[in-house]
Amino acid sequence: MSGIPLKPVYTWDDLRGLSFPEILGNPGAPPYTRGVYPLMYREKKWTIRQFSGFTSPEETNKRLKYEYHAGQTGLSIAFDAVTENGLNSDDPRAQADVGAGGVPTNSLEDMEAMFTGLPIERLNTGIIGNPPASLPLSAMYFAMARKWGIPWKSLGGTTQNDILLFTVCNTPIDQIPPRQLIRLSVDLVEWCAINLPRWNPVSIASYNYRENGINAYQELAFMLANAIAYLDEGLRRNRLTADQLARVMSFHLAAHNDFFEEIAKFRAARRMWYRLTKEKYRVRDPRAQMLRFHVQTSGSTHTYQQPLNNVVRIAYQVLAAALGGAQSIHANSFDEAICLPTEQSVLLSIRTQQIAQLETNVVNVVDPLGGSFYLEWLTNELEERAWEYLKKIEEEGGLVAAIESGWVHREWRTAMEDYARKVATGEYPVVGVNCFQMDEEPYNYTVFRPDPNAGKKLAERLEKLRKTRNRHRVRTSLARLREVSKTSENVMPAVIEAAESLVTLGEIVDVWRDLYGIWNPPVAG
Amino acid sequence: MVRPQNRIRVLIAKPGLDGHWRGAMVVAMALRDAGMEVIYGGNRTPGEIVKTAIQEGVDVIGLSVYSAGHMRLIPAVIEHLKREQAEDILVVVGGIIPPVDIPLLKTAGVAEVFLPGTPPNRIVEFIRTKVSARREGKV
Repeated sequence: MSGIPLKPVYTWDDLRGLSFPEILGNPGAPPYTRGVYPLMYREKKWTIRQFSGFTSPEETNKRLKYEYHAGQTGLSIAFDAVTENGLNSDDPRAQADVGAGGVPTNSLEDMEAMFTGLPIERLNTGIIGNPPASLPLSAMYFAMARKWGIPWKSLGGTTQNDILLFTVCNTPIDQIPPRQLIRLSVDLVEWCAINLPRWNPVSIASYNYRENGINAYQELAFMLANAIAYLDEGLRRNRLTADQLARVMSFHLAAHNDFFEEIAKFRAARRMWYRLTKEKYRVRDPRAQMLRFHVQTSGSTHTYQQPLNNVVRIAYQVLAAALGGAQSIHANSFDEAICLPTEQSVLLSIRTQQIAQLETNVVNVVDPLGGSFYLEWLTNELEERAWEYLKKIEEEGGLVAAIESGWVHREWRTAMEDYARKVATGEYPVVGVNCFQMDEEPYNYTVFRPDPNAGKKLAERLEKLRKTRNRHRVRTSLARLREVSKTSENVMPAVIEAAESLVTLGEIVDVWRDLYGIWNPPVAG
Repeated sequence: MVRPQNRIRVLIAKPGLDGHWRGAMVVAMALRDAGMEVIYGGNRTPGEIVKTAIQEGVDVIGLSVYSAGHMRLIPAVIEHLKREQAEDILVVVGGIIPPVDIPLLKTAGVAEVFLPGTPPNRIVEFIRTKVSARREGKV
């Protein structure tokens, strides 16, 4: 689908001259093409981790427990657009969006209400927030864990913390400039690398870039360009080594619908990360050379029309992720294009993964497609094109500069236009949409509705919080945050203190808005 | 006030905070390629959208909503249009709208809801047809 011309058949000749030890190696050894661990799923199956959240922390808590009892093995929190933008639920612009696309989370209290009764010391959590909100949200989670007696040294989980999310992937509200965003996100990376050794303080989420219409090798290139931006910012500070920084980085890739291209992409991703960390950053620690990643099935490939068809698309995409060696998978629910998941549709997503793990036997052999003429050729081809495209990003001055200049927005606009044209002409067939359409919807399903009164309830709770919390602590912790944010010191200790003092998300982010100013994203060029 | 103009002017905007812009941008680019003047307004409140629409003298407001807030946000835009006596501006919608809500939105005043997967030229044709009908009605 990325436009690579394909032959009808691939043979030995297509791999002639390639050195297998150099391009393949063994699983769990350089260049990691075949997998980051020697035994992969034989030893530990991928984590079933469904992205969830809606209405309120309490309602989300119920849904997380439902998923846990259905057999989910990791958690992943979807915040609403208000929280994602670092705004409080009572922001006058927020009312229709509170709890609509995710869970509202304003304070440490909300975080506790969301996780009460869940064994977070055993279940790793993905805090899917991005800078600047990723810092206070992580701080609230860490403060909650400490309060509950879970030592930071053993707390496992991930914060997405990806600067591309609310600069290019989504248009943000009142966002601070990209150069300040990278400062804040690397503060989180740095601080966690020292204090929470089992936490991944960044998950480079190329999934989201891909959802904007770019192709498989562009996804790889942007993924690496973003990782380079984090490493370079981290190293510029001269406080941590490349090994320390790279070791804690994790990734979140898409599983789109070209089955073999996606599998090849996952393998190329691992090999490219190894080559980048070893050759450009001289990383020695093997753990820092290993690309550990979560996969989400591509929401943009799921259709509104005949939505049960999506069950099949999702199953194929989960299989591709499994054959590609993902560490963790979210399977969308079939109603993705219509509404948030119902209990029934998320249950089916969990069952899809369990059936893949337990009934298909694909987990019993590592990198089972390794050695396929087509797959090995395609893995090489994608890698080559990805390095080429990465050069283009470097020519723009690196990713942060490319975001600020509008280059990334421009490239993605071209890609989304191209993709839309191919669907409109039928070049990309979409069953039920541009072929096999039906006048009447043949399938029955229930539409999920979050509570439309969520905004009011959360606003009331915020009012109560402001009245009952210790105002002196709030003022002093905000003042401390403000002071440290003016310097080049790591802000995280101050953010944690603020979170513990029940300072709200919006209040914390407002400090940065005030200091750094508001950036106008060049969305339309 | 009727502004004499040939080209159709469209404001594409996202009410509320949901920032997913791919759908809105694809439609904006298709309308532009079809010869319309398109203003991409980004994320705004319903009131701001209507204010911009009036200032820019648009014929059409295209709203893109992916959050589940469409049943509040879209009628709010129409309410503002009524208050400003600008109901002649056509309102069309795209995004994540459950089927049962479509007739409700139309009753509220939305001219059409374009579901995911709608070929962009269908949107172009719809707007051209409706806008010229409205213009003829005024002359």
